[in-house]
Amino acid sequence: MRYAARKIIMLVVTVLAISFVVFLAFSVIPGDPALTILGGQTDPARVEALREQMGLNAPLPVRYVRWLRSFLAGDFGMSYRYSVPVSRLLGEKIPITLILTLESFLFMLLISIPLGIYSARHAGGRADRALVILNQIIMAVPPFFSGILITFFFGMLLHWFVPGGYVSWRVSLSGCVGYLVFPAIAIALPKSAMVVSILRRSLLKEARLDYVRTAYSRGSRTNYVLYRHMLRNAMGPVVTFLGMAAADMVAGSIIIEQVFGIPGLGRALLTAIANRDYPVVEAIIVLISVLVVASGAAVDLICRRLDPRISLD
Amino acid sequence: MSERILEVSDLNIEFHDHSLPETVVYDFDLTLHEGEIVGIVGESGSGKSMSAMAIAGLLSRHEIRKRGQILYDGRNLLDCDRDTLRRYQGEDIAVIFQEPMTSLDPVRRIGWQVEESVRLHHPEIPAERRREMALRNLADCGLADPEKVYRQYPSQLSGGMRQRVMIAAAMMGNPRILIADEPTTALDVLVQEQIIELLRRINRERGTAILFISHDLSLVRRLCSRVLVMREGRIVEAGPVEDIFNHPAEDYTRALIRAIPRVFSEKRGGEAEGEGTAAAAAPVLDVEHLDVFYQESGQGIGELFRRKRAEPVVKDISFSLRRGECLALVGGSGCGKSTLARAVAGLTRSYTGTVSRPGVQPQIIFQDPYNSLNPMHTVRWILEEPLRLTGEKNARVREKRILSMLEKVRLSPELLGRYPSQLSGGQRQRVCIGSALMQQPELLIADEPVSALDVTIQAEILELLGELRREMALSVLFISHDLRTVYQLCDTILVMEKGEIVERGAVDEVYRRPRSKYTKALLRAAGISS
Repeated sequence: MRYAARKIIMLVVTVLAISFVVFLAFSVIPGDPALTILGGQTDPARVEALREQMGLNAPLPVRYVRWLRSFLAGDFGMSYRYSVPVSRLLGEKIPITLILTLESFLFMLLISIPLGIYSARHAGGRADRALVILNQIIMAVPPFFSGILITFFFGMLLHWFVPGGYVSWRVSLSGCVGYLVFPAIAIALPKSAMVVSILRRSLLKEARLDYVRTAYSRGSRTNYVLYRHMLRNAMGPVVTFLGMAAADMVAGSIIIEQVFGIPGLGRALLTAIANRDYPVVEAIIVLISVLVVASGAAVDLICRRLDPRISLD
Repeated sequence: MSERILEVSDLNIEFHDHSLPETVVYDFDLTLHEGEIVGIVGESGSGKSMSAMAIAGLLSRHEIRKRGQILYDGRNLLDCDRDTLRRYQGEDIAVIFQEPMTSLDPVRRIGWQVEESVRLHHPEIPAERRREMALRNLADCGLADPEKVYRQYPSQLSGGMRQRVMIAAAMMGNPRILIADEPTTALDVLVQEQIIELLRRINRERGTAILFISHDLSLVRRLCSRVLVMREGRIVEAGPVEDIFNHPAEDYTRALIRAIPRVFSEKRGGEAEGEGTAAAAAPVLDVEHLDVFYQESGQGIGELFRRKRAEPVVKDISFSLRRGECLALVGGSGCGKSTLARAVAGLTRSYTGTVSRPGVQPQIIFQDPYNSLNPMHTVRWILEEPLRLTGEKNARVREKRILSMLEKVRLSPELLGRYPSQLSGGQRQRVCIGSALMQQPELLIADEPVSALDVTIQAEILELLGELRREMALSVLFISHDLRTVYQLCDTILVMEKGEIVERGAVDEVYRRPRSKYTKALLRAAGISS
């Protein structure tokens, strides 16, 4: 698995580069964190003392290495706003967003893969044509809007869940997962529509290839050809998209958390930006970028498993 | 006479995907006896593959209507339901296809694919025995290391090996009928010969009847006992192969036979001038001690840190090409001839040695006229492009030169507004030639320009190239694996094997007295005996 080792090294390098850029960005943004912390206090001596204490006077590379070292040790610094460790602040939020993202990813797979296969299997039929149109519509509806519709319909009309009644995962994991079902669906819907259309198109493209004819010539059933031959060949573009979608879903949760009143990473990020609470913002951005880069690497590895040509050629 | 195993009568095939139904096969009749090899010959679009696919039960799309009778095992296969039909497919009737490169599933191991028909038809056979059968069939089809091939993926095998795998897979159920749809068209001559030999042996040893579909009459003549000649969906002539060859009744059959390039008879292309002047003329291309490397094109940031691995594909080659000369570069696939051409044309920089070509950059025409024209542009745009590149600003001059080029490549001006998809293969190759000649290069590199075309079209294009040579004093580097077409057009020949030149000289001389073993094998495979 020399390839995997190389991949992991590249991953680390990428994340380091991102972390440096993020750090650099927050160092050049106007605004003095010491001033922010002290609020209205403007006694220059006190500000200067705090700057010295926070290590803000050291040269940039030194500060970066310091920051990186403590970051790797799990110490993301202190929140300027709340004066608590960022790790404690985020420790509460990360599982929420993680559960939300995983749930939406799972829904996406459960909805889109069967529908995509069905649509391709019956391409040109009535159900397929209806599905193609429905797909276009769903693709065009942004999650926050479908989130509002879902809240109204399932929450306020049907009372299947209590809008705003988020249950902490510390209190009840199942309650938390249950509450997150609807926001997860809101996130998953447009992405599922895209996966359906990518899988459908990919399968139809495969259907025209010679090896499919070969499989039929040996006396195989359509389902056999579909599941044992075409599906794996068709998964390449789908997996690539799923990787991008996974990263996008983390980002998408920022908005949906607002709609459903979920105290996750997204909300924390928005509040932190509004408060200029840079250590929190930095930590969240680096965490999200780790997720994005990791899902990209996962896609590469899965594609290599699916298609031997990638590693052979 | 042995038992009749297949009787096709009055087979008609219609396409209904457009508003007007289109008939592609009319009243097709065929009787196949046990252990017989029957050929179906015709050009593309003649319906030969359609008829064969109908027999194999592979035309099941609902917009295709079939009428008539395909009688096998006392049943009309056209009336069978899918499940009954499936019982015959791969078990009694097996198929191998034209494109061994794409006919295998790229993501499955060879062993798995070879065993497929046994898994489908005889699930009761245990995996261990299935594996034994597969290995035996792979070995029997001439794969030297069946254990290794069994574990490999299609992309690890050459075209010839893949076709052997296809045949091994087809023979797993010991079918009574093997339908071979242009099985050697995509392969080079030496491999083609081996595959034909393999089919012959299978027919002899296992008594499998073979329905051999091809556009290559000389191939059909060597393999088949009977032949059907098809044109535009109809059988125009049928009978024993030798009768048809010696006494063709139809004009069309005569035209097909005439289109087979002859060797040691009159040349179609003809030399530009006498040999003496050609030798005295200035060289348009001088290649000295050329090594060309194959570069792995990696991607990703990781490539930055990896040293490029390069191995020479073309080794220490020197030759020169004089004005008006037509030099053939001949060899099997993978011998480095196309790589050499790329270096000569300046399409790759990873070479050492010298390539000097005074004058305009040489132009290339490629093998596949279907994919080498931009489908989004009209013929006019395509022909105009080289002029725009050279900076010809005057639109009237451009138009005039386009029209005169059309005349040169014998195309009607009506085609100017058409898109490549609206042209036939021959017309497309003419457009390719025209656009290559637009900048008036002294050297034209033709990389297998006719091997993707029908025989009659091949003859036309070769004739055109010959005429253009005379009219424009053009020098041509003609890359081919087909020694018959080479004889028609070229004056001198370089034979390449594994990146090195193994023989060179005047075409006549080399054909009559080949020295290297490789050249002899090539000549033998082309059916040329000196």
